[in-house]
Amino acid sequence: MTRTGLWPSVAIIAAAVILPSLLIAVTGGSPVAALQALVQGGLGDATAVSQTLLYAAPLLLVAVGACCSARSGAFNIGQEGQVLIGALAGAAAGLRLAVPGPALLLVVLLAAALAAGVWAWLSALMNRLRGVDIAVSTLLMTFLAQQLVAFAVTTPWLLQESRLGDAAALPQSNKLPARTLLASLGDSPGLQLNLGLAVSLGIALLVAVALDRTRWGFRLTMAGLNPAAARHAGVPVAAVSGLALAVSGALAGMAGAVLLASPLSTNRLQPDISINIGWDGLLVALIARNRPLLTIPVAVLFATLRAGGSFLAATGVPSYLVDVVKALLTLAFVAPAVMRRRTVAA
Amino acid sequence: MAPEPALRLRGITKRYGTVVACDGVDLTLERGEIHGLLGENGAGKSTLMRILLGLETQDSGAIDRDGRTVTIAGPRQAAALGISMVHQHFSLVDPLTVWENVELGRSGPVRRAAARAGVLAAAERYGLAIDPDARVGTLSAGQRQRVELLKCLRRDPAVLILDEPTSVLTQAESAELFTVLRRVVAAEHRAVVLISHKLAEITTVTDRVTVMRAGRVVLRRDTAATTEAELAREMVGREVTLGAAVGVLPRAGAGAAPAASAEAALRLRGLTARPGLDDLNLTVRAGEIVGLYGAEGNGQKSLGDILSGLTVPDAGTVEVAGAPVDLRRAGALSAAGLGIVPEDRHHAGVVLDLSVAQNLVMTRLGDVSGRVFVDRRRLRRRARALADEYGITAASLDTPLRHLSGLGCWSPPSPPAASTWAPSRTCTHACAAARTTAWPCC
Repeated sequence: MTRTGLWPSVAIIAAAVILPSLLIAVTGGSPVAALQALVQGGLGDATAVSQTLLYAAPLLLVAVGACCSARSGAFNIGQEGQVLIGALAGAAAGLRLAVPGPALLLVVLLAAALAAGVWAWLSALMNRLRGVDIAVSTLLMTFLAQQLVAFAVTTPWLLQESRLGDAAALPQSNKLPARTLLASLGDSPGLQLNLGLAVSLGIALLVAVALDRTRWGFRLTMAGLNPAAARHAGVPVAAVSGLALAVSGALAGMAGAVLLASPLSTNRLQPDISINIGWDGLLVALIARNRPLLTIPVAVLFATLRAGGSFLAATGVPSYLVDVVKALLTLAFVAPAVMRRRTVAA
Repeated sequence: MAPEPALRLRGITKRYGTVVACDGVDLTLERGEIHGLLGENGAGKSTLMRILLGLETQDSGAIDRDGRTVTIAGPRQAAALGISMVHQHFSLVDPLTVWENVELGRSGPVRRAAARAGVLAAAERYGLAIDPDARVGTLSAGQRQRVELLKCLRRDPAVLILDEPTSVLTQAESAELFTVLRRVVAAEHRAVVLISHKLAEITTVTDRVTVMRAGRVVLRRDTAATTEAELAREMVGREVTLGAAVGVLPRAGAGAAPAASAEAALRLRGLTARPGLDDLNLTVRAGEIVGLYGAEGNGQKSLGDILSGLTVPDAGTVEVAGAPVDLRRAGALSAAGLGIVPEDRHHAGVVLDLSVAQNLVMTRLGDVSGRVFVDRRRLRRRARALADEYGITAASLDTPLRHLSGLGCWSPPSPPAASTWAPSRTCTHACAAARTTAWPCC
């Protein structure tokens, strides 16, 4: 099984490296220079590593959430929207609630998780009441979320920034108070470890244990693999997978709050605050085959590509080449699994 | 000299890890005979047939078709060689119509009128009345079996394999099936392999019979020269009481039934549900087996769904051991001690991607876990005990169930009285624990 699955993977990973190189060469760039830029920008020095780890935190949160829902059989692909809803709720809580001291940060994170969790759970509800496909509804809810955030930051009585003098107000919220921001955990020369990373690592471990060691995880996995058998074994499948979907949304929402409160953003709610973290996090989970612990290295890899991507432009190679690499990598890991499943089925 | 047999298997051997599924199996199949293949689950029948269909490749041994040695690399090639199988679990597409299902898998353009006419002609020829435009999803099990059979016969196979074809059929439907098979063999000179657990079927329908046990052929005989008792003995490997141990056709007076106690283990009062259940009252006492008899579609499925906790009835109550059960709570019936053997075990009984051990403890997760955590050591110990108790042969209990040979290993050799209906280990265990079994059959 493993042997037959390995070679296609190796071949496609090779393709993931070679194809972009060809693309670069064809468009007149230097593949070597591009690779150097990627590595330099992602891992080159303490600043680059710091940037990579900043990206890794929200990616990881989204990915472990995706593991939960996918394992339960509810395929959530609306993380991008859930990230936005999380950021929206987090911003609202951070700007409007009068919670004293650093406790406000906790409130921001929890508000984001709660709002996005309920948001995702709506899809489970629609599925239960009207049989709406979960993948479709979570995806479509993303567009709704984008509209909501855009509305909130352009509407003065909602979250749009306060007007100062005659300056026009931009479509963004006020800056979050400093006590709600995710602090840096010490600066050993140049290297910054953000609190957000610690939070997401902790949650990844927690989810890993929950999925693999607890009754909840066992029942969730069973519901995902064979709902009929799970029902026969007394598992309330709809409730279990609905909860998994909510957890998945909650973690994506928390990723939104992390984006909002970390140096990755201007600490203001903006329509593009999610910076595709939701989509990428979903890919991370796919590559990690829904195993929470495996999402950690994969999230770091994707974060490296992201951090390095901004350095690409300097070599004359468009930075969206990184997206091509990510897509090919995902294919490399997902395609063999799908092909194998087909052979088993035949 | 006699003509070459339609099919001859010579020394077929197949291993899965340390488990030998087929061990030097020889089998000769003549044209114009119905050949019974008998054996317990895990005896190697299914593996052998999978090899014939090109779904598995033998480790050693050869297959001759009409005297020529052939290699069967895949299902397409098996079809080209004229080997076709009616699967135990129907391989039909529910939303498609009958003729569409029959056509499925043939290459070339689809010609609706010709296909419909072909189905009608074949249906007429074999006496398998069926509406070619009916949606398969709306058909009963017996009708689906007809479609499945037509699908095979339309490909004009020289060798037709039927894997436990009667497991979902009523007696009348089974009789009809065997009439068709007789015609196929006598008039068209095809060879038929009939795989079955039901000894009565084997002795009345087949011409010759081969019995397999633990991957080997242990008996090969003209059916006329053998008896049910001999077949049962060879199949299990020891002297058995017919009916009680092998789970064959129930017979009056088989074994001494323990006296039923007065206590009601299961009491159904006024159960009403759609479709088919209207004010059903039923009492099952400890120590007794209650059969529900009736043609398919008369509420058995609704009753099964309710007792499995899959649906909540419109009205009525279920009491287990005298205590009413809240049917709206998931798992309440199971917790109350009611075990259910689902009708379709692959679909509803097991999770193929979980390990053998996990499947064994699935319905009683509470036994191997605390409030929150699953205790892996307790889980393995419990699974090991169950596997030993029921003789489950798997290389490792950590193997995903999917990798077991044809799933044959999964079923217990001879649990009390229930093996025909109770193939899933987990469920039989649950039944044994609850001491009360209720299953709808038709």
